[in-house]
Amino acid sequence: MSTMRSAGQISLRNLRAIPRLPSAFFPALLMPIFTMIAFSGTFYAVTKIPGFPTDRSINWYMPIGVLFGSSFSGIGIGFTTIRDIETGFYDRLRMSPAPRNALIIGPLFTAWMRTVILNLIVVPIGVALGVRFEGGILAVLSLLAASLGMSTLSLGWGLGLAYRFRDMRAAAIMQLSIFIGLYLTSAQMPLEFIDGWLHHVATYNPITYILYLARQGLVLDGTSHDMSWSNTWPGLLAIVVLSGLALAFARRGLDKLDK
Amino acid sequence: MAWRSTKETFRQPALVGPSMIFPIFFAALGASSFSRATSLPGFPKVESFLQFSLAATVVQGVLFGSVTGAAALATDIQNGFFDRLLLAPTSRTGILIGRLAGSAIFGAVQAAAFIAVLWPFGATIKSSFGGALVMVLSGGIVALAIGSLMSAVAIKTASAEAVQGTFPLLFILLFFSSAFFPRETMSGLYRNIADVNPISYLVEGMRELVLVGFSTSAMAKAIFIPTAICVVAILIALRQLRVRLASR
Repeated sequence: MSTMRSAGQISLRNLRAIPRLPSAFFPALLMPIFTMIAFSGTFYAVTKIPGFPTDRSINWYMPIGVLFGSSFSGIGIGFTTIRDIETGFYDRLRMSPAPRNALIIGPLFTAWMRTVILNLIVVPIGVALGVRFEGGILAVLSLLAASLGMSTLSLGWGLGLAYRFRDMRAAAIMQLSIFIGLYLTSAQMPLEFIDGWLHHVATYNPITYILYLARQGLVLDGTSHDMSWSNTWPGLLAIVVLSGLALAFARRGLDKLDK
Repeated sequence: MAWRSTKETFRQPALVGPSMIFPIFFAALGASSFSRATSLPGFPKVESFLQFSLAATVVQGVLFGSVTGAAALATDIQNGFFDRLLLAPTSRTGILIGRLAGSAIFGAVQAAAFIAVLWPFGATIKSSFGGALVMVLSGGIVALAIGSLMSAVAIKTASAEAVQGTFPLLFILLFFSSAFFPRETMSGLYRNIADVNPISYLVEGMRELVLVGFSTSAMAKAIFIPTAICVVAILIALRQLRVRLASR
């Protein structure tokens, strides 16, 4: 069986698990909606600070919500992999003639499909609540690219941890690390408005630039965060490097599991 | 029972840790992120955003920590320990109150720890040590109130997962209040929800102690609101206990 065909079958199985085990997917769906509403309502007034790159708080906070949801779409598959390892299903999967890479590419396809579903639900809700895509269709594509990138690197990280720990201890580490990684960015305020230790950490945190990519079409033209190549390539580079490292981490973990 | 409950809580750092670490993490994030927001119209006069967020940090930590005790009660019911306790020659109400007292002690310790950690970094309390003591007392009462509500869930469902499942509700209750930003800076429906959310008044009472000093209104909000919730919550928990005993 070819890698892509095996990956497709594994992906199909994971997708079928959504209605069977909704508790593994719905938190990833509800989280961005909650984050978007709660943050934009609570921190509504920050847009009145002179120089803030948008006049709509929901424009600023929707992308971080989408990235949270995309990340949890990725690590959600890490949770189901742990369950499969614990129940012994994964051993049977490893004994099948499916190529090893298919065990990673299959879940990757699922993570992407979950992320697309999430965007198809969250973005219209955001628009209904007042989100305005200043950059048009390119803005939507930027947000989608960033969210697919976050789901890829989260999936690699989640699978790698699942293969190494092989029990639910990995789930706590997955959630905590993604949560901290996303918060130690310009999640709440623009980088130039942040002071002290967080400014330094966020500047060197590559996820900050993925967030720039996600947000660039939602901020006002003429600001330092607007739609431009300089706000695009660092995010794409961060996605390629982090996803590559995370998927390699997963593949090495799978090899260790085999041994 | 209170002593056992307290020891049990502190013996589980994996459960206790998040409710101690996350509020401090959020306070540190907020202090760096929102320092410029303190000059916004409607924002109270503060020395720093950290000072503003001290009350929210205490309430956040205590709310999240109070789930831990109730989840332990559900575990006791699941593994049969609670049934063995019921066979003991002691008051059934005392068994529940003892466990809730453990939650209250943990809540007060959490409040004291948050104040002790954040005060040196600029979260000074205008009402000084007296105000800090009121905040610690308030933390204990809040933990007792929320712990009682969660215990009612634990007794009804006998499931630690069900108790943990209520966690997002607490998160929503906290976010849809004035815990993280003043109500005066909010608008529309969100402001209306924050206006009717009791958490807003509780946090604002503590915040008044931090930012302004002692006042009757601050004391009333910080002590009487959680006490009122507490009385109702304990009655609900005791009723659930009676229902459970009657069904045996």
